[in-house]
Amino acid sequence: MSSYVYFFGCVIPNRYPGIEYAVRWVTGKEGFNLDVKDQPEFSCCPVPGIFYSTDKDTWLLLAARNLVLAQDERRQVLTVCNGCLASLLKATEFLQEPKNMGKTNRILAQIGKKYTGIPQKSTEGKRKIFEPVKVRHYVEMMVKDVGLDAIKAKAKHPLKNIKVAVHYGCHYLRPTEHFTFDDPNDPVMIDQIVEACGATSVDYEDKLDCCGAGGGVRSHVVELANSLTQDKCANIEAAGADCIVTGCPFCLLQFDNAQKSFAKEGIPVMHVSQLQALSMGLDPISLGFDTHHVSAHSFLRKIRGL
Amino acid sequence: MGEAEKTFIGGLHEELAEDKIIDESQLEPDFAEQIRKYGGKDVMTCLQCGNCTGVCPISLKIDYKTRNIIKCCQFGLKKYTLGTRWVCATCYRCYEHCPADLNPAEVMIALRHIAVREGIIPPFIKAAATNLVKYGQSVKPDAEIDKIRKELGLGKVGAEHPEYNKVIREINVLVHATKYDKLVGIQEEVKA
Repeated sequence: MSSYVYFFGCVIPNRYPGIEYAVRWVTGKEGFNLDVKDQPEFSCCPVPGIFYSTDKDTWLLLAARNLVLAQDERRQVLTVCNGCLASLLKATEFLQEPKNMGKTNRILAQIGKKYTGIPQKSTEGKRKIFEPVKVRHYVEMMVKDVGLDAIKAKAKHPLKNIKVAVHYGCHYLRPTEHFTFDDPNDPVMIDQIVEACGATSVDYEDKLDCCGAGGGVRSHVVELANSLTQDKCANIEAAGADCIVTGCPFCLLQFDNAQKSFAKEGIPVMHVSQLQALSMGLDPISLGFDTHHVSAHSFLRKIRGL
Repeated sequence: MGEAEKTFIGGLHEELAEDKIIDESQLEPDFAEQIRKYGGKDVMTCLQCGNCTGVCPISLKIDYKTRNIIKCCQFGLKKYTLGTRWVCATCYRCYEHCPADLNPAEVMIALRHIAVREGIIPPFIKAAATNLVKYGQSVKPDAEIDKIRKELGLGKVGAEHPEYNKVIREINVLVHATKYDKLVGIQEEVKA
């Protein structure tokens, strides 16, 4: 079994601590007991909509700094956010180019760090072989490393009668030159986890559409981002879903906040790890639903069969 | 919509109205080259098929047509393309559908690079960069959330730990080394 290091990013610890709790609980002793460590020196990934958009050199340096920390631990980076995944995965690919790696390491030397990748045990002679640091997404790790059967076996409190609208988020799927773990045109992994938790994943129109928040659109023109979310929510409502489940805390933040502007009650939104924790019997109080703007009250009542 | 939004969204429609005459003095012949410098592919390979606009979620909502922007890039109409390109959600749908393999999303990102260097910097860029050099995170820590973290038994966020000062110092050094602080105008915040 692989070993990982948590990478929670910015949004989860500072806006949705319930996701952090759920992920720690699901991967921890009471859950799947995975070998995951904390690395307190991680910074922002950094967020692609700001830094990758304005200065790629700075973006690569800051991402490389995080990757060096994982490299020194000899562990895979376990991201829980599509943005962190996109930023760090792209950075490992940029750093494969010797020019980029040299330029980055020359500046990283100022803080006493060097990115090489993780040295592999080599059988041929003394030449060292380095593999780039592996960056994983929580969803992909769950399906591939833990396995759907194990998820099903642990779901002691299957979420029967719950209809879930799955939202993947753009940077889970595209660009396909970086992302190859799930089918970009017909992704299945979050749906599989939802079904393994005993809930039903409902299909809805334009399922793979953007939530509207990415690339700085939310920070820049919130009305534009919200109008995209409104379209999505209309389709989700038409499909009769009880909740929206996503693998990305930034999409979650957008759905959660945008619904204030156009919906009276709104559809509760949660991270896939929170849904898993519910199916595994964790008390909803620990899932931090009080930090969500859309109340999860009616949803939680339905889970209890009321 | 506020004045700031107008400046940064305004479609090309008004700027390139039919009766408007554009003479050569407005063209920048090496514009395609500048885009290449910041990681975009060669815009001259664009076929003007319009697939990118067809799949763009933003183009459904506002006057933002990816194909037109690429056309302006081909002509070298720099001043029309810079102020307006901050609404791309970088969903990369255009990239998947581009038969010329141009990756229009990366062109938009290159245009943002050029815009920032021309001094067109939306306020949210500064805010996020300031948060990064102050707290090591792009999202500002929140006292209410800290209380909830405590209730849940989660530790403090990084920026609240005294040891995290080392991380902030490292980030400041890196941001200063690439002159990013000067680029986006946050020199006062950076201690390097």
